[in-house]
Amino acid sequence: MHVESGVDAVPAIRVVDLHKRFGTLDVLRGVSFDVRRGDVVSMIGASGSGKSTLLRCINRLETPSSGEVYIDGEPMGHRGQGDAKARSLAEINMMRRDLGMVFQQFNLWPHMTVLGNVIEAPIRVRGMSRREATALGEECLARVHLEEKSKEYPARLSGGQQQRVAIARALAMRPKAMLFDEPTSSLDPELTDEVLVVMRELAADGTTMIVVTHEMGFAREASDRVLFLHNGLIEEEGPPSQVFGAPKSERCRQFLSKHVQ
Amino acid sequence: MVSDALAEALDLTTFWEYREVLLRGLAFNVYTFLAAATVSIAIGLAAALLRVNRLRPLRWAGTVHVELFRNAPDYIMVVWVHFVLPLLLGKLLGSRIEFDPFVSAVIALGFVYSGYFAETFRTGIQAIPLGHLEAARACGMSERQILWRITLPQVVRRMLPEAVNIFVSQFKATTIISLIAVPDLMYRVGMVLQQEMKPLPLYTGAALTYFIVVYLFAGTVRALSERWRNRIYA
Amino acid sequence: MSNWERLVWNQREVLLKGFLVTVEICLIAFAIAVVGGMLLCLVRLYVKPLKPLAVLLIEFFRATPIFVQLMWVAYVWPEIFGWPGTFFAAGCVALGVQSSGYLAETFRAGIEAIPRGHREAGYSVGMSPPQVFRRIVLPQTLLASAPSIVNQFTVIVKSSTLVSVITVQDLMFQALKLVTVWYEPIEILTVTAGIYIGFVFLVSLAGKTLADRLRLRYGLAAA
Repeated sequence: MHVESGVDAVPAIRVVDLHKRFGTLDVLRGVSFDVRRGDVVSMIGASGSGKSTLLRCINRLETPSSGEVYIDGEPMGHRGQGDAKARSLAEINMMRRDLGMVFQQFNLWPHMTVLGNVIEAPIRVRGMSRREATALGEECLARVHLEEKSKEYPARLSGGQQQRVAIARALAMRPKAMLFDEPTSSLDPELTDEVLVVMRELAADGTTMIVVTHEMGFAREASDRVLFLHNGLIEEEGPPSQVFGAPKSERCRQFLSKHVQ
Repeated sequence: MVSDALAEALDLTTFWEYREVLLRGLAFNVYTFLAAATVSIAIGLAAALLRVNRLRPLRWAGTVHVELFRNAPDYIMVVWVHFVLPLLLGKLLGSRIEFDPFVSAVIALGFVYSGYFAETFRTGIQAIPLGHLEAARACGMSERQILWRITLPQVVRRMLPEAVNIFVSQFKATTIISLIAVPDLMYRVGMVLQQEMKPLPLYTGAALTYFIVVYLFAGTVRALSERWRNRIYA
Repeated sequence: MSNWERLVWNQREVLLKGFLVTVEICLIAFAIAVVGGMLLCLVRLYVKPLKPLAVLLIEFFRATPIFVQLMWVAYVWPEIFGWPGTFFAAGCVALGVQSSGYLAETFRAGIEAIPRGHREAGYSVGMSPPQVFRRIVLPQTLLASAPSIVNQFTVIVKSSTLVSVITVQDLMFQALKLVTVWYEPIEILTVTAGIYIGFVFLVSLAGKTLADRLRLRYGLAAA
């Protein structure tokens, strides 16, 4: 009991005073928060509020201007333990394996089959044998209910199916946490449900997740905590019951009144 | 030794001494190009119209034309037109016929590149929405009026960038007419070479001259056609 | 009829020998073009200090007529670089570098057309930049460029007729030699033209079929 709480004291993801500036534009202006293991954190906010940039800074597809991100206590940007030297790209690549990323535009590789997309990184990055990787890939495809599509090429799938493959591809790296960047925003409304169902199942299985989303239903029902971003800062933060039920910030109230029916 | 040869190759004084003779050669490239391009456009348009015709044999003839000329190497066509075509025509007419090399060059390059133009015209014609034609028919325009007033102006706009590419290739192809003794730039370089025996600066000069001419020509024509397109259709 | 037999059929071995030389030159030049084109393209895109040089080479290769370039490579390069040592090699190199300029631009367009997200997806699963290039960018670029690559091969075949000028004994050379021997050009030149046209036609047909198959296989829209 004591030991377990000790482990839990180290958050799966810790973001400390993150800033990001594009030229003269301050997109993130000092964002800090923790994600505990098994937690689902939803990030909401108007477009341009910085939520996607924040997510991309976490796995360093964008380099933060300042601030730090810790994965399981390990800093992403520098070596840690007193060594302030910046990590090389190769090291950052190593750490990225621990963060599964799901993009708005799916970004499946069109020249590989569904299974090929899923097993590419386990083989090339983890060095698994093709047999092992295939078994793992099929397991991951089963989790998104697409095992029968493994031989198809992505262009033949619906948008919802493509996004589920993208989730399976991220899962196949057995990441410590999953990052979702508006995973349903480029889908037709009738295709969003199948993706949300899979995400709810992952959440129920205890997957650590950060979800940037416009799906208020998902944020309210499936997440442990909700962050409302405005102008590069966390404006409101708390359990969904509080953020949706009794928001303290006026801006958050306005945003929710527009986006929640 | 490398630098010696390089210095010699880049020492273009010999090339410059013969500038008048050589420049007159370049003029032959330009004449041939202009004449051949005119032939190509006319025949290319005719072939494209065959290919969108309702009658199957005519469509088929258009296809044969395109496949024949698009797949033919320039050089063999120039040689064939210069050495074989006059003999065949002579047999047909029962008299001895010879082509001036310039005429052979224009016919050969004109026909070869008409194949490319035909394809470009056809794609342009077929890209025009049926509604435009129906609207014209509804106004009571004749098929000929529709072709000249509705179809072709749009086709020309669409095909311009591709047409520029074909023109550039066609101009570059005019260098091979020296091989049937049209006195173009390359032919004259060969003649000067027999007197001066300095292949390094002469061939380098020729390569640089063509590079600059083609580069400027392509750039100018692209810019002009772009401006023209924008002015008319912006 | 006997003319055809005497001038063409009886010369079939010579013509075949020439045709094989043509095929050999074209294949070597094609390999040079693909490899060289990719190198030029990569330097242009990713090696900042060498970019102007790459651009200059690409533009020079593209804008210089093949016949002029052939003479230049055959007679000037050996003096400057001590290479290529034979006319055969000069022919391969001249045809190759010309096409490499075109292919470099084709590859660049292909690479630039790949959505950035495809690369980011690779990085996000921990692939290194070389892995992302080899496994994600390169195959897609080649797939998208397939029709242009095949087309470039047909350009090489057509241009290869000119190597006969520098005495490489290809099909064109053998045909012209037969013409000067018999001085009866009708049959031999017509057949030679037919062989070239047929060969180029078959290559483009095969290329189109292949490109369509690939598109169909990957479920992409036909070009």
